[in-house]
Amino acid sequence: MTAALSDVSWTVAPGEVHAVVGENGAGKSTLIKIITGVHQPDQGEIRVEGAPVVIRNTQAAQALGIAAIFQEPMVFPDLDVAENIFISHRQLGQLMNWRKLYSDADELIDRLGVTLDVRRAASGLTLAEQQTVEIGRALSLNVKVLIMDEPTASLSAHEVDRLMAIVKALKARGVAVIYISHRLDEVFRIADRVTVLRDGKHISTNDVSKVTNVSMVRDMVGRAIDQFAVKTKANDHGEKILAVKGLGRDGVFENVSFDLHRGEVLCFAGLIGSKRTDVGLALFGIDPAQSGTIEISGASHSIKTPQQAMDLGIAYVSEDRRKLGLAMTMPIFANASLAGLKKFLGRLGLIDHKAELAMAEGYRDQLSIRSPNVTIDVGKLSGGNQQKLMLAKWLETKPRILIFDEPTRGVDVGAKAEVHNIIRDLAKKGVAVIVISSDLPEVLALADRILVMREGRQMGIFPIAGATQENIMALATGQTHIEALAS
Amino acid sequence: MINLLRRIHPQSLRVIALAVVLALVVIFFSTQIDNYFSPRMLNRIATSAAVILPIAIGQSLVVMTRNVDLSVGSLVGIVAYLIGDFLTTHHGLDPFSTLVLALLLGAFCGAINGALIAYGRVPSIIATLGTLALFRTFLVEYSHARTITADALPSWVVDLPQAVLFSIGSFEVRGMVVAALVAAVIFGFAMSRLRLARKLYAVGSNPDAAVMAGINSARVVFSAFVMSGMLAGLSGLIFLAKFGNITVVAGLGFELKSIAAVVVGGVNIFGGSGTILGVVLGTVLVDTLDNSLTRWAVVSEFWRDALLGLLIMTAVAADTFMARYFTRLRRSKTLAPETAPAQTVEKV
Repeated sequence: MTAALSDVSWTVAPGEVHAVVGENGAGKSTLIKIITGVHQPDQGEIRVEGAPVVIRNTQAAQALGIAAIFQEPMVFPDLDVAENIFISHRQLGQLMNWRKLYSDADELIDRLGVTLDVRRAASGLTLAEQQTVEIGRALSLNVKVLIMDEPTASLSAHEVDRLMAIVKALKARGVAVIYISHRLDEVFRIADRVTVLRDGKHISTNDVSKVTNVSMVRDMVGRAIDQFAVKTKANDHGEKILAVKGLGRDGVFENVSFDLHRGEVLCFAGLIGSKRTDVGLALFGIDPAQSGTIEISGASHSIKTPQQAMDLGIAYVSEDRRKLGLAMTMPIFANASLAGLKKFLGRLGLIDHKAELAMAEGYRDQLSIRSPNVTIDVGKLSGGNQQKLMLAKWLETKPRILIFDEPTRGVDVGAKAEVHNIIRDLAKKGVAVIVISSDLPEVLALADRILVMREGRQMGIFPIAGATQENIMALATGQTHIEALAS
Repeated sequence: MINLLRRIHPQSLRVIALAVVLALVVIFFSTQIDNYFSPRMLNRIATSAAVILPIAIGQSLVVMTRNVDLSVGSLVGIVAYLIGDFLTTHHGLDPFSTLVLALLLGAFCGAINGALIAYGRVPSIIATLGTLALFRTFLVEYSHARTITADALPSWVVDLPQAVLFSIGSFEVRGMVVAALVAAVIFGFAMSRLRLARKLYAVGSNPDAAVMAGINSARVVFSAFVMSGMLAGLSGLIFLAKFGNITVVAGLGFELKSIAAVVVGGVNIFGGSGTILGVVLGTVLVDTLDNSLTRWAVVSEFWRDALLGLLIMTAVAADTFMARYFTRLRRSKTLAPETAPAQTVEKV
């Protein structure tokens, strides 16, 4: 068991904006959860205004003047703005003084330098406005430390400007702001100091004036890669099987274009929110694309349902095993055969149970799924074994194009290596593979080519030769463009 | 003992537990009621269970898809009445055609439910609450409060309840009991071997994953309601034969009995798991209790429903408890072997 976070020490002062940056899984969320009382630290201490405190739960954090707002604001849609702002004020008493409520809310919103009708229902607000409401709520509770977790991930450029102005207003009022973001340009715009986390460890804390893009990116990715060999040369691969041109879905992603060949592994790299998964879902017909073309073996197809995608030989191993992958209350064999069930129909349209069991047992041995038999419920398997079972389910459809979404998220190192070997084997057998991964070492270990996305846009596509964690991360954070890599 | 418990599939354990409870209930009442093991009592329970069993099976299919069918009682009423009404004027209709007609009528009404829920996206509890009232009102309007009487029916229908297929000792196995059991066997087999059945479990177990696997979940839910309606058609026909005299209140309250049988029978109320064998045992248990309590002098008529309610709650509570107990049992058992493999694969 590795620690999600260890030995992180830093401070934030009143009126300071302290940025925290790091890759996915660097430990930023864990840090917030500890500060806001969601998780308890195993070691170390937290001091507020010099006094050590124990933050048992979110109410305790609130009492200490610590509040957090997230990428997806949490407002009560049926209440209006003012009610949302004052939702946690118990001192208001049982009897509502509506006039005072609205005038207080008005004043609060004013102080943020925003115009917003406090009588509007929260359900009609834009994401940015909802965030304003949340900030107002925090202010009304006399917040001393405000944590903002990826607040701009879903905002437009104009809305980002407004948010920056609000953050400056908070700063002027002496609020300490912990600003977590993937966007390095925002860090330079707003932060006084910046802390880099990597793999749960504290890498550096510096004044923003002393850091550069390059040094920050290096700190974010500069881990020793001893677990996996980095691929230096692309595999030989066969004819083109998939050609995607200008693929887009309104408001999600746009203009994604790439080719895929038999036996090739194409990795989609990027940070959370870069909409890589949405491209995968579009190819599999879950959330179909609205623009662009998909050609498979030279013929153009529009894929509207998963069944259509499966008929075309596409399989999609999803990231979320619990939600999208497996039926936990069904036995192993039934999960394994679910997507390719047609093949097990024997006489009279009945399922050939023997063949089904033999298939499941075959995969159990081939993929070394650790389970005493194939009739136990899937809920009993460990994460890594569930992942392999999900793979079995899709292999059973005999796909020509196999899309993996975060194939090794939440599995241990051993199972991870096994899954990587399986993916390499599949490619060797001529399957065209797309791997969507946030794990840079994994990308470098598997990819023949890498496609980097950022906020729904394709930032570049380039071969494995010469690719480094630094230049992928630079593209993913929007620092440079593909030309810079060539140099 | 604990090791044995670990090895048995929870679903089989449920069935075993249910059988034990049923045996205990029977033993208990045999000490309380004179002549409990008389053929008369057994027949009473068997024929009353035969009416409920088909709708309980239908209900279980629906519940497995995370839905509920509250309209089955009204459906039984409609089929019993309309088929009875039709037979009074068409004495020549043979038993097989009558059966087909009843099944079709039930399936048609079930299709209305299914269309509303699967394609109209109306939550099943609302849609079937609506059709529960609509079907019943239709029946009231249609019948003009007339009663179908046994004398107006063809003789084969009236004789059906007495039709004995074979006897085990002094216990006579009635034709309609066999009809219900045949339905159970067919559906029990289908649930393990039919592709549609597998899809049904998948949709109930994890709807999102089912869609990912290319399953048209709307069609699956629709089929579940059609089958529930069809089986209500069978129940309606058995009801008609059993009672002969049909009024507009035929089948009133059967939806609750069917849900009781399904829940007691170990079908997961949140969908995704359950067995037909469990449903059969659940139905028999509910009807045994119901019929025995009527005979039991100690308990007043009014307490019958209360005890039935208590049974349902106990069943669900026991199920939840068992699920939790097994999760803990598994954790304590599997932690050790699951950390081990990480080391064994380092060579790859």
